[in-house]
Amino acid sequence: MLADAIRSETIRFSRNRMAMFWSMLFVPVFFLAIGTAVQFFTRARMAEMAEALPPEMTAEGGPLAASGPLDLGQSLVSQAGDFANPIILLFVLIGAAIIYAGDYRWETWRLTSARNSRINLVVGKVVLVFGVVLAALLTWMISGMIGELIKAAIFERPLTFSFEGERAGQLAGFVAVTVTRLMQFTMIGLLAAVVTRSLLAALFVPMVVAIGQFFLMQSLPLLAWGVGDLQSHLLVPGLSHDILKTLLQGGPDAAALPDGVDGKAILSLALWTVVPLVASVAWFQRQDLSRE
Amino acid sequence: MTFVIETRGLTKTYGSVRALDGLSLSIPRGGVYGVLGPNGAGKSTLFRILLGLIRPTDGEATVMGGRIGDVAASRRMGSMIETPRFPPFMTARQVLEWLSAAHGLRADAARVSGWLERVGLTEAADRRVRGFSVGMLQRLGVAAALITEPELVILDEPTSGMDPPGIQEMRALIRSLAERDGITVILASHQLLEVQRVCDRVAILNRGRLVREGAVSELTSDGERLRLSVTPISRTLEVLAALPGAHGSLEGDAVMATLPRPEAPALLRALIEAGVDIDEARWVGADLESVFMTETGSIQMPETIHAR
Repeated sequence: MLADAIRSETIRFSRNRMAMFWSMLFVPVFFLAIGTAVQFFTRARMAEMAEALPPEMTAEGGPLAASGPLDLGQSLVSQAGDFANPIILLFVLIGAAIIYAGDYRWETWRLTSARNSRINLVVGKVVLVFGVVLAALLTWMISGMIGELIKAAIFERPLTFSFEGERAGQLAGFVAVTVTRLMQFTMIGLLAAVVTRSLLAALFVPMVVAIGQFFLMQSLPLLAWGVGDLQSHLLVPGLSHDILKTLLQGGPDAAALPDGVDGKAILSLALWTVVPLVASVAWFQRQDLSRE
Repeated sequence: MTFVIETRGLTKTYGSVRALDGLSLSIPRGGVYGVLGPNGAGKSTLFRILLGLIRPTDGEATVMGGRIGDVAASRRMGSMIETPRFPPFMTARQVLEWLSAAHGLRADAARVSGWLERVGLTEAADRRVRGFSVGMLQRLGVAAALITEPELVILDEPTSGMDPPGIQEMRALIRSLAERDGITVILASHQLLEVQRVCDRVAILNRGRLVREGAVSELTSDGERLRLSVTPISRTLEVLAALPGAHGSLEGDAVMATLPRPEAPALLRALIEAGVDIDEARWVGADLESVFMTETGSIQMPETIHAR
């Protein structure tokens, strides 16, 4: 039963407190601590810095005015949009690698594989990793909100929460795009774990793929491939992720994108997520689990 | 008779090596069934196939009436093969709770504590597995195989790494599983004395084939002989040679007579009539070790002196 597989994976992961901390809590806590320290430093040096700036910059209504309200709704949307960054990716991958390759490392497949179908066993892991990614997103967004509250307290600025118009849709879109982007890399980690039976491969192969995609994205102009070309999206899903975010943000950048680019971007993200998953399941179905 | 496991022509090859070579075996429900064989005989390969960890190259097998990989049938089976391993960050209690969940059972603290007690791990229940000795891992492995309350359990070398009191406790546990809990236990062990004491039936494998199968009492009675402490020995051997269906050999200072049990009174009468002094006459059964050694050709049997 799939429910048994999910429950089993969840119970085991919940006992691994170090893995939970690194994959879901470390980055938000670290960024919150650094951000708070920077706010205190800025506050302490604010008067000194303000003297060095032209008065119109820091006057009320100016771009660096420190008295305007802080919008928690905007903070939520920004945090969701920034979620698929390389640092969060690295730490989420630590948790995903432990979930995907743990049974090979601890030689525990023989304990669980006889009593559930292999598809359920793999899908159970994927569902848990999806939960870990969502939990990491939640802690990331909460830490962003706490950061705004601290900032408001330090700078004695008012708080608002506006969530009207397109903002809810924008938040949902950012969540979908960034979570899919992270799941994509964890699927590559799953494939690496199943094929190599190695926890390190489950961690480092997606990282290498991410670095490779970064350089490919820089090379696209050399190939004379544009953002509207399907092959650009199929080769570099990071481009698809960035384009979908631009479309969600709207404005002149979004208007400048070619027609139909959204479909190509969604297709690319979907393929890069589903293909490694299907390949992993197919490989795992025929795998000799007596050699762990 | 119903069978918990049936194999027909089961074959597994690894490159040019035939780990199992057309194995056909039927293991009846109930009791303790031993699977014996020297290293490389195919025991572990057989278990791995039965658990669905590897696929056979040829042949077929059923477990609890279902084909290999049939999850409903497999859920009625527990197993511990090779040295068990567990996530090192979990305690023994957490391992059993986790495996209960993995097998669709609700976390039942009383059941978990009960099995920890039966395998002798109550005091170590809340210690992390990473600090366990091999013997403790074996005990936890047995509990892990049984936590789902299976009808059939496969235990591969369950006493490996245990001290003598631990071996004795495990032997008692295995018998109680069969007798008290009604679980069919399949046991693989290299400790033949242990197998002889615990098992009801055994199968002996060699080079991937079944070479002998039967009740332990039958196998050991096959080599049953009458040990005679007599004087003079030469006269005794002559009497034995004259008795149809009997023959004797000299082992140490005793004559070992091989003959059907019903012929024993006639032999003793003939010896007395021939003037032989009989100090002692008693039946000596073959132990499982000698049956195993003979069947697998692991050692040369001592040369016997036949009277005829």
